[in-house]
Amino acid sequence: MNTFSRNVLGAAVGAVVLVLGGVAHAADTVKIAVAGPTTGPVAQYGDMQMMGAQMAVEQINAKGGVDGKKLEAVIMDDVCEPKQAVAVANQIVNDKIKYVVGHLCSGSTQPASKLYEEEGILMITPAATNPAITQQGYQMVFRTIGTDDQQGPTAGKYIATTIKPKKLAILHDKQQYGEGIAKEVDKTVKAAGIKPVLFEGVSKGQTDFSALITKMKKEGVDFVYYGGYHPELGLLLRQSREQGFDAKYMGPEGVGNKDISAIAGPASEGLLVTLPADFSTDPANASLVKAFKDKGQDPSGPFVMPSYSAVQIIVDAIQGAKTEDPVKLADYIRKHSFPTPIGKVAFKENGDLKEFEFVIFEWHADATKTPVKQ
Amino acid sequence: MSGSPLLEFIQQTINGLTLGSIYALIAIGYTMVYGIIGMINFAHGEIYMIGAYVGLLVITVLSLFGVDSISLILLATLAVSILVTGSYGWAVERLAYRPLRGSPRLVPLISAIGVSIFLQNYVQLGQGARDVSMQPVLVGGWRFGPEDGFQVYLSYMQVLIALITVVSMTVLTLFISRSRMGRACRACSQDRAMANLLGIDTDRVIALTFVLGAALAAVAGVLVSMYYGLVNPFIGFIAGLKAFTAAVLGGIGSIPGAMLGGVVLGLAESFASAYLRTEYKDVVAFALLIGVLLVRPSGLLGRPDVEKV
Repeated sequence: MNTFSRNVLGAAVGAVVLVLGGVAHAADTVKIAVAGPTTGPVAQYGDMQMMGAQMAVEQINAKGGVDGKKLEAVIMDDVCEPKQAVAVANQIVNDKIKYVVGHLCSGSTQPASKLYEEEGILMITPAATNPAITQQGYQMVFRTIGTDDQQGPTAGKYIATTIKPKKLAILHDKQQYGEGIAKEVDKTVKAAGIKPVLFEGVSKGQTDFSALITKMKKEGVDFVYYGGYHPELGLLLRQSREQGFDAKYMGPEGVGNKDISAIAGPASEGLLVTLPADFSTDPANASLVKAFKDKGQDPSGPFVMPSYSAVQIIVDAIQGAKTEDPVKLADYIRKHSFPTPIGKVAFKENGDLKEFEFVIFEWHADATKTPVKQ
Repeated sequence: MSGSPLLEFIQQTINGLTLGSIYALIAIGYTMVYGIIGMINFAHGEIYMIGAYVGLLVITVLSLFGVDSISLILLATLAVSILVTGSYGWAVERLAYRPLRGSPRLVPLISAIGVSIFLQNYVQLGQGARDVSMQPVLVGGWRFGPEDGFQVYLSYMQVLIALITVVSMTVLTLFISRSRMGRACRACSQDRAMANLLGIDTDRVIALTFVLGAALAAVAGVLVSMYYGLVNPFIGFIAGLKAFTAAVLGGIGSIPGAMLGGVVLGLAESFASAYLRTEYKDVVAFALLIGVLLVRPSGLLGRPDVEKV
């Protein structure tokens, strides 16, 4: 046997030992999979999700864990792609993890949720807002964030009553999330008597919007609602200002992160964004906010606290129901309410929150935001 | 404010030509490789992506050092990007094509796809999988039209893109038609075995083709990072697909064809977006491709007996 194969054998034995070690260790931990994008164009949101979940895990472990067992977050990267999300969901099933905090994008949450429902895995998404996710009649699916049929009308009402644009354009990125919310906004403004002059979809990953901008400029559009994520909107904003198209833009929480200012620069000044209320300014969360800041983290991102809350709800349910069986936990969660950093939460039968509020913020070129009075 | 249809049309033409120039620059790489070895270089989109990354890095470094002369930034960035990207082009040929010369055609195709996936992941590991963005270096432009109505806007950057594209194409055309190496390229494209017999180092010619294609992709990459200011490791896929379409539309193997194909595709996307709906721009672009291929199976300027390089 030469050196090479001996090394390989050594590594293989090592790996087996590690795996066995892992199994032995698993008995006294409670694993929660945190599934979302840690790479790819929208990984910034994944950071918020991971940050929130990990903080919850640390704090719960510091208080003695779950009934004496250590809590462990297993981070899984789905790149916000539906295909990858299914692969991640399969891995979670194979790893026999019983709870999932995720996924993040609606498009990846939906296909993954089907697997969780079939396999009896408890899923709480802290970020996916498309209404369809909780309209599938599933028992195992919850969310700690509002839905686009709350967010869309918030934006739509603001446009109709405060902005009163002469000519409104609604754009989206043809994805489940972006198009979904654009349709909600469309419905709301139409009900208020405003008919958008155009309702069109751009492509995910598109970089050139000049033709579309020229068209809106020619139509005399003075307000644009964009349903989608920040990479496309950032370029859209930048190219609009470059072409001398000065309409005001508005977008959902998927555009609200620092990168929109990195891409659009000064063009991001004045962008309107609907976001969950900034829970980090709630005095009740002061000590939690301090814990984040001590670690050099920014807790003001829209998905940080919902993600923290999702972990906490799972743990509270395990302790309250005195079982680790996800199916029984789902039942327990539906029947009880939980004090969390996003407020006291209770769920509807379909897994949506009974109450959740979206707030309108004005974005600034230096990537800060201020709430808009409504 | 409702603008005049003519001005809008002019603006959409400008938009389309800018987009088309970029497609054309990338399309040349596909068409040249096809012209010489009769194969599609599927790693070409990734080569372009590397060009864009290098461009962005160099510009960022230069602005850190306080260089603010546009011409200096442009020249330095183009030079570095062409050098680096050209070496990647050479390496792709050396590693994925040359060892497989003489094997069935499917084999180098697969190895090129392998290289493409490799490069995508390699850049992702080295530079991170996230979008990298940069603020525009060259801002401003000219406005034409009524003060209070729709104005046509022609940015300096759009002019620069058109200018650089025309210069690159002219240099390439002169190189192919006038230089010794260019003559060797044409000979290889007509009959590689015969060229070899007559003492042309065909391996060198093929390597040169890959380097030239990569150099033009680098130019496109630099222009894209200056114009749009957003790159990520995945931009090569869509851009490659579009440029490949442009090359086929114009007649794969024909250099003027690739230029024409790029411009036609850019205009088609722009007009579809303007006069139909934005959703339909890819539908129209590809319908056009199918339409052209039905009528002219070898593309707009491609003829079976055309001088292919």
